[in-house]
Amino acid sequence: MSSRRTFETLVLPHLDAAYNLARWLLRDERSAEDVVQEASLRAFRYIGSLRGDDARAWLLGIVRNTCFTLLERQRNGPDLVEFDDAEFEAALGADHGGGADPAAQLEQRRLRTQIDAAIRALSPPLREVIVLREFEDLDYAQIAQIVAVPVGTVMSRLSRAREKMRSVLSQSNPGALR
Amino acid sequence: MSTEDDDLSALIRRHATRHAAPDGLRAGIRTQVALEDARRAPLPASQAAGAPPRRWFVFGWGTASASFALGVLCTALLIPLAPRVDVAGPVDAELVADHVRALRAGPLAEVMSSDRHTVKPWFQGRLDYAPPVFDLAGEGYPLVGGRIEQVRGAAVATLAYTHNRHVVDLFVWPSAEQRAPQRLLQRGFNVVHWADGSMQYWAVSDMDREEIESFTRLWRQRAAAQ
Repeated sequence: MSSRRTFETLVLPHLDAAYNLARWLLRDERSAEDVVQEASLRAFRYIGSLRGDDARAWLLGIVRNTCFTLLERQRNGPDLVEFDDAEFEAALGADHGGGADPAAQLEQRRLRTQIDAAIRALSPPLREVIVLREFEDLDYAQIAQIVAVPVGTVMSRLSRAREKMRSVLSQSNPGALR
Repeated sequence: MSTEDDDLSALIRRHATRHAAPDGLRAGIRTQVALEDARRAPLPASQAAGAPPRRWFVFGWGTASASFALGVLCTALLIPLAPRVDVAGPVDAELVADHVRALRAGPLAEVMSSDRHTVKPWFQGRLDYAPPVFDLAGEGYPLVGGRIEQVRGAAVATLAYTHNRHVVDLFVWPSAEQRAPQRLLQRGFNVVHWADGSMQYWAVSDMDREEIESFTRLWRQRAAAQ
């Protein structure tokens, strides 16, 4: 199979996962698009190093490295990504109607906003393990490979991330977690 | 994992926002990979050892776009060598050269977005006119983004669209003229030119005649409906 076919059939299907990770790690859509584009071209150039491995984990590794390079370059700015008001407004304005119970819908949106904000409140190293674990359902070994740290570190970061999220959520929504 | 962790996991998985890659991004990556692939093709050393020989006679889209991109590359390399009889030259030749250079070296879009409300304001402060911007994704020509090209020393709004892995650049600048669409061929590229009394438009692409004419028709319909 040519490099290009390999890229199209094995790598490109994971573009949503790549974008989701970048979008969660970076401040705005534009940077996420730039990073995913750069990472994809890099993936295509080094497609030879993908040998029957898990293409998704491989691509996500390249994406997170590109993200962290960018974050390092932006070090002068604040490390935490601020809560995005525009996104919040958009989320509130989205999916009106549809027949479902409006109170339940409002509650759903409120929950989404709170959970998103709790993820955003994590530092990038904690945020990335949460995204890889909860959105991509990767196991500890895969995450360790992507982040290039020992499995033990992944587990401790995950537990710190969860602890932090729970404390943020218990403030904003005491009922969400038992 | 504790029950607490399970609860939190369930909440995140059910409620947190999943961001899907925008279509323009996918199209942009495909185009860049196709071009990079074609750039590498003539170097036998870069072919993986033991890879089966390319079957060039099989006319698939891969072959087609690779050879298109190869053509673009050759054209781009040859343009500086072409004798310039007329210093000003016809504007369509210049636009084709801009199109080829953007495909070859990028950026195809300085503002990458399929949202016209992102692309249109981006031109503000960069141009002394406001070009109309439409996304034609619903009609098969998604907007990739916009950029500025220097055409004869003037800044010109350039909108990039994709269609079946082809790229069409639409150059837009003011003109009081009215002119029905006219198609011409410039080094194998299709160029369609028209003017609506407010702006003049030049669409440049390697798409075939029917496709670029359909793009022109859709664009004009959309502009007329405004």
